[in-house]
Amino acid sequence: MNRKMFVSLHLIAMSTVLLNLLTGLRISSLDTPVLMYFDAILISGAVHSMHLISGYVFSVLVLYFIYYQFNNSQLSRNLLNKSQLKKIPHKQGYRALSYHKWVNRLGYIAGLLSVITGLFISFDLMVNTLQPLHFTSALLFLLYLVMHSWIYILQHGKGVLVRLLPSSYTHIAWLKLASIALIACLLYLFNIPVKHSLLVSAIPMDVLIEIDGHANEPQWLTTPSIAINTIGGANFVDGNTQVTIKALSNAQETFFLFTWKDPTQSIEHLPLLKTAQGWKVEEDGFYRFDEQSHYEDKFAVMLSNSCNSGADGTAHLGKTPIKGKPSNWHGKGYHASLDNTVRDLWHWKAVRTNDMYLADDNFIGAPASVQHGQRRYSAGYQADGKESGAYVMNWQWYKANVITPKRLPINYSLANKKVLPWFSSAPYKAELDTLAVGSYLPSVLYRSNRFEGDRADVRARGHWRNGVWTLELVRKKNTLSKHDISLKTGVCMWVSAFDRSQIAHTRHHKAIQLQYSL
Amino acid sequence: MKIRLLTSLLMLLLLIFYCRFSLPVHVTPVHARFTKMINTGEVISSWQGPWSCVVDSSLNVLWEVKTDNESIHDGYWTYSWFDEIQGKENFGDCYFEAQRCDTSDLIRHTNTQGLCNQHNWRLPTPDELQSLIKSPQRPGQAHINNDYFPFIHKGDYWTSANQQQLPQHFTQFNSGALAVNFHAGQQATLPYRNAAFVILVSSLTEANTTSQLSSRVINENTSQKEARK
Repeated sequence: MNRKMFVSLHLIAMSTVLLNLLTGLRISSLDTPVLMYFDAILISGAVHSMHLISGYVFSVLVLYFIYYQFNNSQLSRNLLNKSQLKKIPHKQGYRALSYHKWVNRLGYIAGLLSVITGLFISFDLMVNTLQPLHFTSALLFLLYLVMHSWIYILQHGKGVLVRLLPSSYTHIAWLKLASIALIACLLYLFNIPVKHSLLVSAIPMDVLIEIDGHANEPQWLTTPSIAINTIGGANFVDGNTQVTIKALSNAQETFFLFTWKDPTQSIEHLPLLKTAQGWKVEEDGFYRFDEQSHYEDKFAVMLSNSCNSGADGTAHLGKTPIKGKPSNWHGKGYHASLDNTVRDLWHWKAVRTNDMYLADDNFIGAPASVQHGQRRYSAGYQADGKESGAYVMNWQWYKANVITPKRLPINYSLANKKVLPWFSSAPYKAELDTLAVGSYLPSVLYRSNRFEGDRADVRARGHWRNGVWTLELVRKKNTLSKHDISLKTGVCMWVSAFDRSQIAHTRHHKAIQLQYSL
Repeated sequence: MKIRLLTSLLMLLLLIFYCRFSLPVHVTPVHARFTKMINTGEVISSWQGPWSCVVDSSLNVLWEVKTDNESIHDGYWTYSWFDEIQGKENFGDCYFEAQRCDTSDLIRHTNTQGLCNQHNWRLPTPDELQSLIKSPQRPGQAHINNDYFPFIHKGDYWTSANQQQLPQHFTQFNSGALAVNFHAGQQATLPYRNAAFVILVSSLTEANTTSQLSSRVINENTSQKEARK
């Protein structure tokens, strides 16, 4: 390989590998907490599209390298076989060449594995199996980089950099690099329109679909379903669960049926425990807003008129991913629409909204203004406005160690319930608190039966049976709310399941596009 | 070779130190105008709570903070406008009076209680109350700094301005008092008999000024620890 070609390919390889590792490890840090130690050097922000583009460039480079290996006789002649290596008189030189030959083989295997698994994952194919392999190949490649570049630098010092960097612009094979970039862009553009497709079957207006979480209407049996493998959620088996989706629609409303495996029905939400020191919130991560033990199961649906990667560009990963906005406490990131386009978000909660027969109608908008008095900042993730109705937390003010409950049940038999109704309880007074140490209180208070107004647009009811949640959900096609997306052909959808976790939800790469049969 | 090895290990150490110590630190923000105060008169940091009053360094006053604990400060109680001389007595709804409620009831109870060590609680002037108007920071919220003033509803709040001419559709009631509406952020004159919300205000005396209160702010480190407790 001539020097111009060697320098050019090395340059592009170094930059794409670096970009891939710094964005890919950031994405992996969502479900691999140890990577958070490297938060300062990992890239923050909308890293999904960056990872995808640099991944395609690296893939094309790898393909080109393989082509070059097989076709360039000059290169073949330059490669030393074992017998030739042994003829090298200097013992150290032989060992070094032999070492780098084996290290390069590790690099080729890791690189090829990451390219193949990455390409499959980018099309949402076999993600459950391939995502761990992709992560492993990235770590292997990291190991290769250390064994390859570090040892070269130890052996040859800064002379290595002189050999790797071009001495002038003319020493770069611009045409080759442009061709690689062009093919990568074409692959990326080819990847964008690939989506899952969900057929929304038509039903007449007089067909009743009861939102009860049982899905026993005959229409559900005959409508086609799609299965989406979602990954990376806390507490699920291997972090994965498959979500099956069906949809029906009449002239006014669209009905959705979601089912997903969850071996445990989690219907505890930050219960309050009475200790000898006072009342305490049972938690192991709520202080940093990433509870994964004492939380309810949840399910989220996001809708958008565009279908891009990284939850349509709304996922901004890292501790401080949005310039000028506060850092988050868990280091994982924020959802926000930096293009100021609203994405709809339905958030069903097994304790807080299920008995309201609602999903919390939220949205992802532009990053909200900072409220000084609020420790938690949630960027673009916000609730639609409501006229009345709410659940509130049963503490006067949250503290990590001891809290004072807001209300006590009038009848202590209600203390074991998951939700305490407002009008079955009284304001907390120390003299009324005769519950024994070790007693529990619900942390969720229903101020009234349900939300009213914009936030109550999505009716939903979930039912858990034999390790499977079944969730039925319905919303008007057009609510006329500026925080909602109208349901029609072409709208894209993403789904996430939460297993007793506050934010550690499963995810999938490719959007699900609605196709109305009407 | 040894120098290269040592240099690269040193660089690795620097990288580890950078990763370890360059993480952003959460600093409790300070609001330019408002500070939280607990009932005993001590000010707390913006991430602490619960709080009973808000120190307004711009107007040199304290504001009552509404609650949802069914006390006299509950944000759901409503009051007719009455100052012991003029207005309409007992035409609002609350739990803490044997009869129904008016503004003088809340003022009397709050001064007796000595909320935040103050005994000069009163209705705000229109300018004072209007100065709290701020565009909602989240959908559906009232026109106010919701993080310092929770439980403020999107409704009418009485001011001290009485003997105001009523709009034509209320002329049978002769005169009324001025209210500020936290839904629209505008003022309106209402008949005294209307049930409206109230947020009281207390002028800080020379013996108890905002600068003195500021000196009592629990320092940031202490408040961070307190927030965790």
